[in-house]
Amino acid sequence: MSGEAWLYLFAVLINAVNLFLQVFFTIMYSDLEWYVLAQLGTKASELHSAPSSSDYINPIDLCNRLNTYIIPEAAVHGFLTLLFLVNGYWVALVLNLPLLGWNIKKILDNTHLLDATEIFRKLNVHKKESFFKLGFHLIMFFFYLYSMIVALIKDEKA
Amino acid sequence: MAAPNDGQGQYPPPQYPQEAPYGGYEGQASSPPPPQAGHADGGKKKKRGYATQAFEFGSGANSAATVGAPPPGGMPPMPGTPGFAGVQQPSPGYGGYPAQGYEQGGYGAPVPAPYDAQQPGAPAQPPVGGYQSPSYYAGAVAGGMGPLTQNMAGLNMGGPQQPAVPQQQQHQPPAQQPPRLALNQLYPTDLLNQPFNVSELDLPPPDCILPPNASVTQSPNANCPPKYIRSTLNAVPTTHSLLKKSKLPFALVIQPYAALHDIDDSVPVVQDQVIARCRRCRTYINPYVTFLDQGHRWRCNMCNLTNDVPQAFDWDAATQKSVNRWDRYELNHSVVEFVAPQEYMVRPPQPLVYLFLFDVSYASVSTGLLATSARTILDSLSRIPNADRRTRLGFIALDSSLHYFSIPKDDDENGETSMLVVSDLEEPFLPMPHDLLVPLTESRQSIENFLTKLPEMFQNNQNNGSCLGSALRAGHQLISPLGGKIVALSASLPNMGTGKLEMREDKKLLGTSKESGLLQTANSFYKSFAVECSKNQVSIDMFLFSSQYQDVASLSNLPRYTGGQTWFYPGFNAGRAEDAIKFASEFSDYLSSEIGLEAVLRVRASTGLRMSTFYGNFFNRSSDLCAFPAFPRDQCYVVEVAIDESLQKQFICLQAGVLYTTCNGERRIRVMTLSLPTTTNVADIYASADQCAITTYFSHKAVERALGSGLDAARDALQSKIIELLQTFKKELGGGSMGGGGLQFPANLRGLPVLFLGLIKNIGLRRSAQIPSDLRSAALCLLSTLPLPLLIQYIYPRLYSLHDMPDNAGVPDPETSQIVLPPPLNLSSERFVSYGLYLIDDGQSQFIWVGRDAVPQLLADVFGVQDRSQLRVGKGTIPELDNDFNERVRAVIQKSRDHLSRGVGSVTVPHLYIVREDGEPSLKLWAQTLLVEDRADQAMSLAQWMGSLREKVVQ
Ligand SMILES: [Zn+2]
Repeated sequence: MSGEAWLYLFAVLINAVNLFLQVFFTIMYSDLEWYVLAQLGTKASELHSAPSSSDYINPIDLCNRLNTYIIPEAAVHGFLTLLFLVNGYWVALVLNLPLLGWNIKKILDNTHLLDATEIFRKLNVHKKESFFKLGFHLIMFFFYLYSMIVALIKDEKA
Repeated sequence: MAAPNDGQGQYPPPQYPQEAPYGGYEGQASSPPPPQAGHADGGKKKKRGYATQAFEFGSGANSAATVGAPPPGGMPPMPGTPGFAGVQQPSPGYGGYPAQGYEQGGYGAPVPAPYDAQQPGAPAQPPVGGYQSPSYYAGAVAGGMGPLTQNMAGLNMGGPQQPAVPQQQQHQPPAQQPPRLALNQLYPTDLLNQPFNVSELDLPPPDCILPPNASVTQSPNANCPPKYIRSTLNAVPTTHSLLKKSKLPFALVIQPYAALHDIDDSVPVVQDQVIARCRRCRTYINPYVTFLDQGHRWRCNMCNLTNDVPQAFDWDAATQKSVNRWDRYELNHSVVEFVAPQEYMVRPPQPLVYLFLFDVSYASVSTGLLATSARTILDSLSRIPNADRRTRLGFIALDSSLHYFSIPKDDDENGETSMLVVSDLEEPFLPMPHDLLVPLTESRQSIENFLTKLPEMFQNNQNNGSCLGSALRAGHQLISPLGGKIVALSASLPNMGTGKLEMREDKKLLGTSKESGLLQTANSFYKSFAVECSKNQVSIDMFLFSSQYQDVASLSNLPRYTGGQTWFYPGFNAGRAEDAIKFASEFSDYLSSEIGLEAVLRVRASTGLRMSTFYGNFFNRSSDLCAFPAFPRDQCYVVEVAIDESLQKQFICLQAGVLYTTCNGERRIRVMTLSLPTTTNVADIYASADQCAITTYFSHKAVERALGSGLDAARDALQSKIIELLQTFKKELGGGSMGGGGLQFPANLRGLPVLFLGLIKNIGLRRSAQIPSDLRSAALCLLSTLPLPLLIQYIYPRLYSLHDMPDNAGVPDPETSQIVLPPPLNLSSERFVSYGLYLIDDGQSQFIWVGRDAVPQLLADVFGVQDRSQLRVGKGTIPELDNDFNERVRAVIQKSRDHLSRGVGSVTVPHLYIVREDGEPSLKLWAQTLLVEDRADQAMSLAQWMGSLREKVVQ
């Protein structure tokens, strides 16, 4: 197996990790939304009468939990992009640049982390972003897979 | 202030059509408003020696107002108003003083020389502007009230009894539309030809016209008074798309308390702990439910579910007698309080806890902050609510280290207050918590001794450190088992320990796009810690005093998310009596305020409506639940409502509930129920829109925008919104045909363009390179917390002409014994005469403006000085002198600070600045920035603003 095939295999694996992370994010956001809906319904309206600490788990803890994955996710993606740059795979590099730029911008602006004070106002924005990334990783997954197969075939021929 | 004396009278209760027979619409409809004669006389007599002879007659703004005969109609009335106007509004505000308006025609026209407009003679011109002709009046009555009166004819006016289930409006199948209710009529006016008059801001919001029989008891108190909740729309569009088409926001402005103390604004309390709520949507029973099955069951007015009436609903357990259901408060009053039973508590009600964090650094000691605050607390110990004798106090001092004080109980013989100093700021060690937080009742004597000694302990402190963040963390740790208030008093930038902040303000950034960064939080500690505090029921109030940069932007996050408030006293120095008195009196009132604890606010609404966004100082614990570790009494909240499904009923209900613990340990729920009619046409929506509530909504929006996307974005959004509204009105309601090139807008929204201009020019938002970011941040805090009446005044300040105030101003009204204020004037320097004396008042600062030609007699009477050069400018007071005019001026100033009569609680005592027109330029400039209609700095004048709006809208 050539270096190219190894690289794309690695990319497929890394990408799968990111894909799962995004699925996790999306589920968590929906969870929060569900939590909201549950509160609107019968059971949760009782909450008006009883503010208990269990109430809190969701918005605050959710932000804390998700925040721990945000930097690793961006770092892994950045590392992969770097690998493409170093090895000179321009197509893969160009495809990854927009997301890299987006992540860097958010980190520089210090807006990458979720803010518990605003989570309910921004939930839709976060969800949209998460869906978008999900789609991106999904497409890239097939792209890497395809590139890997092409590389393997090239190996055969050589 | 049209009717400063009766906050409630301002809101003629049109929603209670059953009152009609008593009011007698016919007779009053055509009766002219209170005679203006006395008013005019006053104008002449009060000239006294103040005006120069040339202006002996009819000079000055107020007298000008009275010379032109007011058209008998006065304001275009909201239907319903007329019946009451004659009876309840004897004060000058209502009758209108139309000639006071701009005689010189549209805004676009070149502005004549400033003072000419007020020359005698000019007002004789028939007023083009001002208000409608009398025919409007009649029209309103015929169109608006006629149908209603007829409807009422059939109404059963007997006392509350088991009402038949109203067949008309309950449970209508969608297809069968009920006969349309005559809602408020639309009165398009031309903004250019009939300029805005400031007194319009004092008018009550458009009536909320409900179908007869809407409430089950027909009680006159069935609908929520505007004092507690104001809706931006008093006629609700039935669909989301209609709302979108109107471009108007649908939001509630909720102010659950109208006073700092219950005694000043009491609300009926349901004591028997029988709380009937809907099983499904958890709505509290209210005047708009219906009873079924001989009164055994009730139908929820929000979700239509049928519920059982609780067993004890008609039974008084105390007297062991059955009670008349129709006398129950919750069926008669829209605003009630329930005493909550056990189920409403997660733990026993917490005591009131105040933990004071004193800054004892050099800055605080040298400005006298430490001494003043200790003294004020000492003097206010008896005012701190302590009815249940459980109130606890604690004290921490901070400079570069933390100082804990353990205070003994009074009956402890050997007890002595001891101080423990901790310098490790990362993991502050917390000694013996029980001694640090002591019951006020049991340690009163020791606390008094401690507070007396505290300033001495640190009087020679040269330390310049401030570890406020660490102190907050230690304080949080100390009181989090109980919850309560942390009161931080700080005169310096927190420069060490947790949450350390840096001096990041650069004068060069001010006025540029980078300025907005300074309004954002510099250290994420201030957000995450706030959330942590909210979780543990700890609320933080910030009292900030620095004369240098203090990063109000970062520090204000703590109050923002914990239901607190940021109080900013820039450049405080207790050496100045005015500073010390202002702070001491505000702080003392603050401590005496009966705050709520461990509170949550939730708003429920009829099926199809959803609360989408909440604005104010609290933490959104879930998308529709706002959490307040402490619930203040001097703030308001804005809740935006989304229309998810089309509304089928003739009217909808919204119910705000605040569950809280009173400061004497009782768990209570304050419930406010508002009903609003629905409509399917845009004209009704516009005719029933409330300009003050809309402005409040956009003020909150603008603050959010300013903090998120910057000041430019916030200002631009405001400008494009007002243009969009004007365009929508022109397009949808075809105002174009009436005025040709005019700018059409409904009578009830005429103030909106001016209010938006005021908002854009407010110190929090205006474009300027001169405003320190701390001042801006503090202003943004006010723009997002002030109760509506104070907010509107902050955006469009009050201007009174004092030298020629009418005879009845400044003295108590014979009927209400409240001081009468002079009629307010529009905020334009055209209103000023050079020999005049004016009061400009935005509720936070007041300016006494002394014209450059003020005659010596005036100065002698008011200030007791012989010569204008002796007049001390800057912060000051009006001396008490023994003459009638001085007394009246002081009475006016006193009255202008009376929050209670305006239906709001507030501790604010504005600073009074004396400004000489020919005096210190910077002070004069500052006062002039409050003149919203003038051109200032980089902002437009009203004429330019209206011109630019017209250009964009008319094209
Ligand atoms: Zn219900």
